[in-house]
Amino acid sequence: MTSLKNPASAGEVQFDTFIYGAPPLAYPVSLSQYAIYNTPDPAYITGRINVSAFANLGASTPWPFSNTNVPLNGHVCVPHGRGPFPLAVFAHGNHNPFENSTPGYLYLCRLLASHGIIAATIDVNFLNGSNFGENDGRAIVHLEHLKQFRTWNNTAPHPLHGKVDLNRILIVGHSRGGEAVGHASFFNRLASIGGVLLDGSAGLGPYRFGLSAVAAIAPTDRQFTPVSGPTVVPDSYYLIHGSQDSDVFTFEGYHTYERAHGVDLANPTVSDGKFRAMLWVHKANHNQFNSIWASETPPGVAMPRASQEEIAKVHLGALAQAVLLDRAEYMDVLRDHGAAVAWDPAGAEFVSQYQDPERFFIQHNQEGLTVPVVSLPVQGTVATDNVVATRQLTALVGGAPTTTITLRLVWSALGSRLLLRVDPSTLPAQLYKPLVLRVGQSTEANNAANRDQDFTLEVSSGSRTAAIPASSLHRLLYPDAPPFGPAKIVMQTLRLPIERLVECGVDPIDLRSIALVFDRRATGTVYAGDLQCSN
Amino acid sequence: MQPPKPPKITAVEVIAAQPTEADSAAIAHLSAELNRSLPQVVNVVKVRLKAKPPATSMGWALYVNDVLIPKYWEYNDGIYFTVLDPQFFAEHKGKRLRFSQNGVDFYDSGVKLPAPAAASKSKSKAAKSTTARLPLQADVLK
Repeated sequence: MTSLKNPASAGEVQFDTFIYGAPPLAYPVSLSQYAIYNTPDPAYITGRINVSAFANLGASTPWPFSNTNVPLNGHVCVPHGRGPFPLAVFAHGNHNPFENSTPGYLYLCRLLASHGIIAATIDVNFLNGSNFGENDGRAIVHLEHLKQFRTWNNTAPHPLHGKVDLNRILIVGHSRGGEAVGHASFFNRLASIGGVLLDGSAGLGPYRFGLSAVAAIAPTDRQFTPVSGPTVVPDSYYLIHGSQDSDVFTFEGYHTYERAHGVDLANPTVSDGKFRAMLWVHKANHNQFNSIWASETPPGVAMPRASQEEIAKVHLGALAQAVLLDRAEYMDVLRDHGAAVAWDPAGAEFVSQYQDPERFFIQHNQEGLTVPVVSLPVQGTVATDNVVATRQLTALVGGAPTTTITLRLVWSALGSRLLLRVDPSTLPAQLYKPLVLRVGQSTEANNAANRDQDFTLEVSSGSRTAAIPASSLHRLLYPDAPPFGPAKIVMQTLRLPIERLVECGVDPIDLRSIALVFDRRATGTVYAGDLQCSN
Repeated sequence: MQPPKPPKITAVEVIAAQPTEADSAAIAHLSAELNRSLPQVVNVVKVRLKAKPPATSMGWALYVNDVLIPKYWEYNDGIYFTVLDPQFFAEHKGKRLRFSQNGVDFYDSGVKLPAPAAASKSKSKAAKSTTARLPLQADVLK
């Protein structure tokens, strides 16, 4: 990683920042923060859209427009040069509508623009207030902004003509805007929603953008639910959330994360070709991801704002470098947050997960609340020795009930073990790079408070066994005490390189057993997600 | 820090109002789905609150007993939602309004959805008068 540049460092590309908007907008004095959108750059005048099928405006905020003609307002940082440039568009979430939330992501837009990405942050403030269920409307607004960029890209002689790469788009949302980007990813493929046509005939759509990834910062989940059921994000999905979040305090986005790119029980070896990645940031709160919003936590509870913004720049910067600029080496940061240790604020603690598009499940646990089994098509058996292994629908992160089964492992004696014996002819481990497991500890009494949990991963082929301490792959942090409510159990992805097994004499073609041996802590409770071979 | 507390409801009323263009489209779509004709009326359920919930992201989902109200909006004295199908009142009359943040833990407001008479009255009025005689939603929400 030493050859890589810190993705939070400004690049060398010069850029200009423009306001875009749809004047005339007679904002009253109480909404004077929005007056900037009444004088956009002359080249960046937009239109209005009708979101009345999705959302009403708060009746106690004196917006100078109705829900049938809301403006497309925003700030955009445009790199100098011919392009075409990838596009990243940020959206805020719910907040006091009398404060303009939009500029709160300019610090990220400027970073991305300096690396050659057109980066915008959009005005969805008119949907803010004491309302609920409007996140489909936020998604439509987000997609309509993308459409505006497509229009400019296709319009000579607009300054953005031919400069927007519409097949490299990253949409990022915070809070309710974070839930909305998931819906936007889903809506992007639709021709209609209910009775509302998205084909352009009634003003909305068509969309069908090339979304490289969807990123959610401390999102909500299921405040809006399509008639087809909870939204399953079809694009690659990135999630970041803070342990001290005192607004979205139940890590709602983890439910979105678990629904995205999960195992298809009918075709467990088939992947949809997308990745998902998650970063849980100890001591980050909700509001400090937006540079405008005042911190919602008392002084001293959360990390300093500058640290939190730096973390956002490092990790969202790495995501953008990887998916928008084809710098695949930055995927290492998504695969393992340890790759960014030199760039993150000193002492910051994280838990991360990553699932590659190329994965082969050995044990996914989604067959049902049965005794643990090895997952088809892998043939094998599961045995326990002094370990109570129970499949559970435990809400690891609080909030609504989960639909993802995890394996709860409890031991009370050194040397206890969970053993998976597999038929090597059914497990093509040699085709993959790491063996991957998700594990996290709880705050139950048999885990020592504030101490990392640990165990040994034993992998055998024939007579050769590799014994790898989990702690050599990653720390299994004790859960950070939340501002209120139960602590979240966030599993850490452990990636054991197959190469390392080979160095220990294990033959991946003849891999016969994988064991979690609890020989490093006398007692404990951990939750395990899926075990897979991956890339 | 303390977890957020649910809003306190002080009163609920149902007022029949003119549908907006979007409402009319939604009524047509719903009529087709249900295969029965729905009146061109929007019942605005105004939920007066002691204090409106803060404009944060987590928010409080509103339920009538176990039925989630999918969307609600803000007006000066509280929140409101709209009902397009009068059958909703027939099925949920007298049931309690509840708040939840996770669909598991509920906070009973102690306030019930207005009795069917109130809703029926509105519906009956609507039937007797033309839609145009109904108030605009904007006026109902003042």
